[in-house]
Amino acid sequence: MRYLPDLLGGLVVTLELTVLSFLGALVLGTLLGVARVSPVRSLRAFGAAYVGALRNVPLLVLLVLFVFGLPDVGVTYSLFTSAVICLALYAAAFVCETVRSGIRTVPLGQAEAARSIGLTFGQALRHVILPQAFRAMVQPLANVFIGVVLGTSLVAAVGVADLTNRGSALTLRYDEPLIVFAWATAFYVVITLGSGVLAGRLERAVRINR
Amino acid sequence: MGRLRTSAAVVAAAVLLAAGGCGGDSGSLPGNGASGGNDVDAIDQILADAPVAPDSAIPAGTLMASIKQRGTMNVGGTDAGPVFSIRDPVTGKLTGFDADLSMMLAKYIIGKPSTKLSITTVDTREAMLQNGTVDAVFATYTITPGRAEKVDFAGPYYSSGDAIMVQKDNTTITEVGDLNGKNVATEGNSTAAEAIKKFAPGATVTLFQDDASCVAAVRQGRVDAYVLDQGILLGDATKVPDVKVVGQPFTTEPYGIGVPKQNPEMKAFVNTWLQQIESSGLWNRLYAATVGKVVTGTSPKPPAIGGVPGT
Repeated sequence: MRYLPDLLGGLVVTLELTVLSFLGALVLGTLLGVARVSPVRSLRAFGAAYVGALRNVPLLVLLVLFVFGLPDVGVTYSLFTSAVICLALYAAAFVCETVRSGIRTVPLGQAEAARSIGLTFGQALRHVILPQAFRAMVQPLANVFIGVVLGTSLVAAVGVADLTNRGSALTLRYDEPLIVFAWATAFYVVITLGSGVLAGRLERAVRINR
Repeated sequence: MGRLRTSAAVVAAAVLLAAGGCGGDSGSLPGNGASGGNDVDAIDQILADAPVAPDSAIPAGTLMASIKQRGTMNVGGTDAGPVFSIRDPVTGKLTGFDADLSMMLAKYIIGKPSTKLSITTVDTREAMLQNGTVDAVFATYTITPGRAEKVDFAGPYYSSGDAIMVQKDNTTITEVGDLNGKNVATEGNSTAAEAIKKFAPGATVTLFQDDASCVAAVRQGRVDAYVLDQGILLGDATKVPDVKVVGQPFTTEPYGIGVPKQNPEMKAFVNTWLQQIESSGLWNRLYAATVGKVVTGTSPKPPAIGGVPGT
């Protein structure tokens, strides 16, 4: 297929964007989620403000602000780096809420028991709450992951040569938009369906049969 | 509370003043520039002088007859293309070389310049003509043999060419050969991407979604240059102070009017109309009121109808 080399190049960029920004979102989102349940009031307020600010802005708007707005105040990253940072910051808001609701699935008695045997808040979180909470988060996190995969297609608008961007370029060369985008769709579906299947396996592997 | 109300009133008054200034003043305020420099008064006169087809030219059962019966022509195009088709945010009026040609065609068929614009992109233009969503596409639509396999092209009605935009203080890029080894932006929906690869194979091409993003990329130094049709770049350069357009066009982009292939009578009909407005001088008047405002030095002689591959 004459389209394949270019589309595969785009697929690699899409995968890089997805993996890097999702890892960034996991780290940042978990910290934010913990902040939202912490006993420190200012941390809780910060977490709530972050989620409120990022979750309620369309991703495309955020990308345009990042790519074309930041250079006007003197901060210029490469297009790819800007896109990764922007996607990570955006997805972190969703990871944060997932982590928070995951922590809520762990009965309060667990936290009370952990604190009453002398663990600090941090120790209780790390050794007792989070390991149990992550079990309930596998499917919701898979949803966030799929959101990130599909969200990466928006970076095509700001000049990052991902799958969608390469698809547009191929359309110009061969005048076959439907065929090119059918291929791109197939690639996206393979990634998202694949991640759904993996998430299902992971969920079964970590499940506790009570 | 009282202070809050006062400041709200001050803000409201300032907004009203600014809006009034844009509409009323004919200086360099944003409202005026938003028409892309098109001469709105001259355009109104051109539309008033535009011809109407005799009933004998529109036989029953043709696409023209159904447009006439509908009372409005469905046009594919854009409302964000400087010089060619841009909507003034203050008046809501669509002007430009493409936009006003479409209105003249609508008047020729219906008797009044009544069009309904659907926004098309390079990915949707052919499909929207094929499935009958639009009757004609006026969208700086370069005629290519590949596209001509799917839709019919009337025209060409204008011949443009790709030029180069750089930052105002750039002296290293003066012609297309200088683009080798440079980062070059273009619109994701333009034939310019292929032209850059052909004329400057060493250039790295970055595709942005629209004209405004490409201009921003040049201004902010994300790319060294921006390549697109000369008329559009010159239109941008009139609005954005820190960029300039260099060199002469290095490609030929014949613009055609896309019409559905399933209605072959439409192409011949549009060509007849085009011939008529070209020989009556309306074409030159519209050119002077739109493209001629930004393109200097090129002779405003319409290209020969049917004179390029794909027509």
